[in-house]
Amino acid sequence: MVKKIPIGPFHPILEEPEFFELHVDGEKVVDIDMTIGWSHRGIELLSESKTWDQVPFLVERICGICSCSHPFAYVKAVEDLLQVEVPKRAQYIRVITAELERLHSHLLWTGLAGHFLGYNTVFMWCWKYREPLLDILEAVTGNRNHYAMMRIGGVRRDIPSEEYGNIRKLLDFLWTKNDMLTGAILDDPVIHARTKGVGIFGREQCRLYGALGPTARAGGYDIDARRDHPIDAYGELDFKVIVCQNGDVFDKAVVRQLENFESIKIIRQCLDRLEAMGPLQDESELRLEIGEVPPGEGIGVYEAPRGEVLHYVRSSGKNMPLRHKVRAPSFNNILTNEASVPGNTVADAGLITAAVDPCYSCTERVGRVDVATGVRYILSEGDLIRLSQEKTEEIRRRLSG
Amino acid sequence: MDKETVKQKIADRFGARVRIAERSAKRVYVYAENEVWVALAAFLFNDLGARFDTGAGVDDRDGVEVMFFFPFDREGYFVTIKTFARKPRPELDSISPLIPGAKWIERDIYEMFEVNFRNHPDLRPLLRSDTRPADFYPHRREVKRGHEMSRSKLDGQERADEVAGRPPKGKNP
Repeated sequence: MVKKIPIGPFHPILEEPEFFELHVDGEKVVDIDMTIGWSHRGIELLSESKTWDQVPFLVERICGICSCSHPFAYVKAVEDLLQVEVPKRAQYIRVITAELERLHSHLLWTGLAGHFLGYNTVFMWCWKYREPLLDILEAVTGNRNHYAMMRIGGVRRDIPSEEYGNIRKLLDFLWTKNDMLTGAILDDPVIHARTKGVGIFGREQCRLYGALGPTARAGGYDIDARRDHPIDAYGELDFKVIVCQNGDVFDKAVVRQLENFESIKIIRQCLDRLEAMGPLQDESELRLEIGEVPPGEGIGVYEAPRGEVLHYVRSSGKNMPLRHKVRAPSFNNILTNEASVPGNTVADAGLITAAVDPCYSCTERVGRVDVATGVRYILSEGDLIRLSQEKTEEIRRRLSG
Repeated sequence: MDKETVKQKIADRFGARVRIAERSAKRVYVYAENEVWVALAAFLFNDLGARFDTGAGVDDRDGVEVMFFFPFDREGYFVTIKTFARKPRPELDSISPLIPGAKWIERDIYEMFEVNFRNHPDLRPLLRSDTRPADFYPHRREVKRGHEMSRSKLDGQERADEVAGRPPKGKNP
């Protein structure tokens, strides 16, 4: 008998609203229906009433985590329209800010995944290591999030040379800790049992659903906007694109963990180049002076932590966009749940939906409806996490004999 | 597949039914007639090996311009296909039966611009709040320039009347 389990409109793992209706037969999920839009703020429309230079401040508020990626893609879209190349120093500063953002985003996800699996130590470790990273972002940009670094034609401020040493120290620290985390998480037999073969989403499915970022790369779909559509300094930097083959939750974790090492390598290369350039001599090293934006259209893409973010702008020659389209990676990735969740158990469903690192606000409420009797059960966030953690505990007991 | 080959293959296949414009080394735009719109998407996605990215709508006086982005990742360029859905009832064939990843973006464009995608498997509004009037399409220029602006001046009772579909007091329905 098929029953329906509504999850949401608050997601059980992250603090953002989302609604899933799981159709279950016993413990197995047979179908899923998703509803989004609970925090729709009309940002595209709002953006079309802001001047070109005000829009970066708006779009970095689309997401607290991707608060560098959205303005990065937006300024690249306008620069695509203008056909300009920004100064080298600005390119390196952009890349450093964006990669620091990727590091803290991946650490956040790993921590939450650990919590959901019942590994609260992992949660505390990750968030502890993320803290000095946010401190550095504050020192470099003036804020822990919403960095306001991006500007059409360059960046708004320099990274002071006295911060280079602090950033390097942080990178050494994060390399060691990420190494330890990678070993601790990925060699754990319980985590293997809990995440391998769960929520498989393969290469062909990724292609059909337009999956992006770690969700796609975990399934063997080898795309990364930093390499494929290199913007700014990415074309001259040496880094690997991490690709796995199985497409399960485990591989999504592997991709993110290993990407952290690549981000650290990228930032070190940018620091080397900035040091070779010497201290800032003139503001023109930071930005081009952009006058009017002529009629035309531009596409900007950047590889955000969750996947490629795309901004499309059209200008009519006025001082604000005629049209500004924003496509965050989660828009494509959340839809993949339609194919990856069915066939798995209820205890795994929350983990799979979280494995795409969905970017909506969530929590706290699960209702369960028996369609045959019409009886409604309400489960709390704690209940759903408990279901997941109990399954981990059961596997742990079984493995320890 | 390199850009010149792709342009040539599109031109050979669709002839005068498409118009190809190259804006820069990395951006190609293909304007297609409504009738070949889905066939063009299928050709790019299945035969030429492009990746499906997303779509967008742009409202105009006479219709809605709908576009889909198909990047060629190995070569690092974008092919954007465009077509024009004419008002007063903008309609297009859906590409979702061909590319499931297009389901949500077509629902989005339907909801924001009232473009009816024929053969879409599930053309429900995607983002709309329950209180928004059914015929309210926020990205349409008539809404942006008139209705939306006047709405912000309405007091609570007038707003409630509007949501409920009642005519405002003192005005002709």
